[in-house]
Amino acid sequence: MKRFAVLQLSGCSGCEMALLNAEEWMDDFDLGYMTLVMSAYHVPEVEVLLVTGGVRTEEDLYRLRRVVRRAEEVVAVGTCAISGGIANLGNRPEVREVFLTHEKRIHLPHLLPKCRPIDTVVTVDCYLPGCPPTPELYMAVLRKESDFKAATSVCQECGRNKPKDMRPTQLLGFQQGEVLPDVCLVNQGYLCIGASTRGGCRALCTIPGYPCVGCRGPSNAFIEKESEAWFTSIHRVFEHMTDIPPEEIEAALRSPQLSLFLFQFADYAGGGQAPRHKDQVV
Amino acid sequence: MTTLTFPLSRIEGHAQVVIETRDGEVHSAHFKAMELRGFEYFLQGTPAEEMPVIVPRICGVCSTAHHLAAVGALEDAYQVTPPPLATKIRELMYLGQLIQNQATSLFVFTLPDRLGLTSIFEHAADAHSEEVRAKIAGRALGVRRAGTDLITLAGGQFIHPIKAVVGGVTSGITPEAAAEMRTQLEGVLPLACELYDHYWEASLAMGERLGTWGDDSPAYYVAAIGGRRDNYYSDVIRVMSPDGVICDSFHPRDFRHYLTFEDTDYSYAGRTSYKGELIRANSLARVNMGEPAGTVYTDHYLRRFRETFGRPAHAIMLFDLARGVELVYSLERALAILEEPLDNEDTDVPYTPRDGDGYGLVEAPRGPLIHHYHIEKGLITQVEFIIPTVHNVRAIERALRVAAERYINADRVDMELERAVGRVVRAFDPCIACATH
Repeated sequence: MKRFAVLQLSGCSGCEMALLNAEEWMDDFDLGYMTLVMSAYHVPEVEVLLVTGGVRTEEDLYRLRRVVRRAEEVVAVGTCAISGGIANLGNRPEVREVFLTHEKRIHLPHLLPKCRPIDTVVTVDCYLPGCPPTPELYMAVLRKESDFKAATSVCQECGRNKPKDMRPTQLLGFQQGEVLPDVCLVNQGYLCIGASTRGGCRALCTIPGYPCVGCRGPSNAFIEKESEAWFTSIHRVFEHMTDIPPEEIEAALRSPQLSLFLFQFADYAGGGQAPRHKDQVV
Repeated sequence: MTTLTFPLSRIEGHAQVVIETRDGEVHSAHFKAMELRGFEYFLQGTPAEEMPVIVPRICGVCSTAHHLAAVGALEDAYQVTPPPLATKIRELMYLGQLIQNQATSLFVFTLPDRLGLTSIFEHAADAHSEEVRAKIAGRALGVRRAGTDLITLAGGQFIHPIKAVVGGVTSGITPEAAAEMRTQLEGVLPLACELYDHYWEASLAMGERLGTWGDDSPAYYVAAIGGRRDNYYSDVIRVMSPDGVICDSFHPRDFRHYLTFEDTDYSYAGRTSYKGELIRANSLARVNMGEPAGTVYTDHYLRRFRETFGRPAHAIMLFDLARGVELVYSLERALAILEEPLDNEDTDVPYTPRDGDGYGLVEAPRGPLIHHYHIEKGLITQVEFIIPTVHNVRAIERALRVAAERYINADRVDMELERAVGRVVRAFDPCIACATH
């Protein structure tokens, strides 16, 4: 039986919760280590190591470095492990100063100067983006389904109509106004970035009427490029489908809620690492 | 001075227990939260309306509670009241969260302590034990999955919901989808009862084996539930005195007059007190304070609980058993709501954003959760998260001290202490990602 382990760094446990939803692994795999559900202090030799959460504390750093040696393959799971995730918002200079005030707490793991993606520390073989990834995606990774292919974009899975004559003139707030059931959220004036976000999530947010914030990160069309290519492309989508002034869209694209998407561009978070190769991303 | 450090598992997040002893005397027993991401700092400057989608990322276990508290805080600031249908759909989302959380805590986190396993996912050596284990694990995951499926139906995304928006929810639930969910929950309810019965028996057996249920000194209890158990949308937090009388209640806006917060140098989470007194939140507080639900199974289990342990009950392991009552309750309550029409009316009302202060209150699985936002020019300029796990830190530490004093003597440390520490902490089902945020 193939053995895997889950190493949880600084995160929210949402990725672990999602893994528990993928019940199928129980029959086919042996779980060797996962502190959320198991009292085990040592990571055994495993075929696959799933790492969740970002590298926020020096303890995260220490554990990550130690544990990867026991794994044949390392998978970065979820937005935090891949980009630092929402905690990356704490990398702004004024927030980092607040973290420094905790320096004198000698009984606790120190906070690193910045929250970092795990591939700045260790070599990652495979990336599984999503906040969190769905159970199907987990199973595809664990089973190494070579023919598995996630949908190109969230847009493709969403399936809302795009009426040509419906051209909003201003951006609606994320929460404002009634959502029409079958019409594309962009046609309704919402800042939905499902067109450029990697599919595979079954469009869980956009189908019930909430705009995609891009937790699965850039689709293959953008993932090896710089974030600027994405900004240009989103402007083109809105130019094509709406009459909303581009300045309004530009400002909204820099909002914290899109950090889940934006930080997954190698250049955006300021990490300086190379873009991930699309063949490595599920 | 000897320092004993116990890493913790089968709880949410990274924490340790550190006990210091000298000559067999327990000097201190500390609960240490070991991580910090800084949400209260980095959310300053965020457009207020983005909060309901960002804050669930504080915690993937309690995400629905944060989602609803955020929407509640904004609605309080904007002075908007969601329509009744939206309130119902939000309650369903919340019940999904309670099913998922209580099933996880009962069967994934704490059942292994009753069965002498390290995990319900650890394959057993002999065929018979393996069969028993696999059956329990499969069913446990089925019950908690019903919870996440209900979150998906009512909340959109399965871990970090998105459907609650200021003024309501984005969409209703069709009769077909509601019927399908009902079928699933009807199948899960007997499984949940069976697992809980098994859990109850195993817990009583453990209680007999250990000779005590742990720290059973009286305490104050806090919960944001109304007079009836089904109301998790109470707009006040109520306090029960150690002798079982509701002695106080307050609006979340006034929490500073009642709850005091102290930072410690050994943990990234602090500790809360109620007017200087130690308090307990979570399942036992609700079961001590709540009234019968008027449904068959819940009331049966509640009656059995009270007949066996009295009211108010104080022993800490009863937090675990109280969770079972709530698991059954949330399944029954969800079944009742799903029978009502859920797509026949407006799901939201219009509103105008305003600046000012907003307070959102939700009785999260771990107790009363308050979000406070101060909004200027549409941006968040101050944010406070008042976290239920933090309310329990003093109670956890008192219980740890009781366990430590029992198992540490002048001549030796009984190795049962390690298991006792795990049981004590898990009874409170602490959530470290929330506590530190």
